[in-house]
Amino acid sequence: MSTTPRFTSAVTDQPPDFSTVLQHQPALLAAFWRLYGIFWSQGALDHRAKEVARIRNARVTNCGF
Amino acid sequence: MTWLRSASDTPTPFEGVLGLRPELLAAYRDFYGRLWDDRLVAPRLLELCRLRVALLHDCQAELAVRHETAGVAAEEVAALEQWQRNDCFTPVERAALAIADKMPWRQHEISDVEVAALRRHLPEAEAVALVLAIGLFDSHCRLRTVLGIEPRRQTVAAPASKRGRLY
Repeated sequence: MSTTPRFTSAVTDQPPDFSTVLQHQPALLAAFWRLYGIFWSQGALDHRAKEVARIRNARVTNCGF
Repeated sequence: MTWLRSASDTPTPFEGVLGLRPELLAAYRDFYGRLWDDRLVAPRLLELCRLRVALLHDCQAELAVRHETAGVAAEEVAALEQWQRNDCFTPVERAALAIADKMPWRQHEISDVEVAALRRHLPEAEAVALVLAIGLFDSHCRLRTVLGIEPRRQTVAAPASKRGRLY
């Protein structure tokens, strides 16, 4: 499992991470956050169910982030 | 046929399902549509990766959609099955397809060398958008499969648009 960034940060003096790398496409990142925000803030499932699913998915995909 | 009780197949099968949650459809269309509308990545490169990921998933619903102006000929779509052995793809396309090949099931095998090869060919912003796009294509196929989205063969102006259709 690799968590070593392979792209540069688009933000001066900030290390590369999910947000700072995607800042190379700021409008796309903003659209992603709007979508992701809806996933978490709306819908029939409560936060606990979503969090369980998120963590389970992270374990299945071996995503360290 | 989708297992969802109240979904329709208009205006597109995907929208008919996702439209059950209008706010989700709008946000998803805005996000995914940007890749195609805003030309963040060359359309041909996106289309090749989209179809390659769809082949790996055997996602007939995604394969049924074709981008009419991406410049991918029918014989090139056929060549995607064994792209490594076909010389019709450019070096940047081969670099992108190498990553597309591993995104669905072998994402941890994507090597530093493969990412570096992509970054040699593309500006950083375009490379970032392409990797994100390949991840979206992967999740798009999974959504189609799990939601039971029916294939509908069509050639479209773009597979998605911020203000248009989401196929």
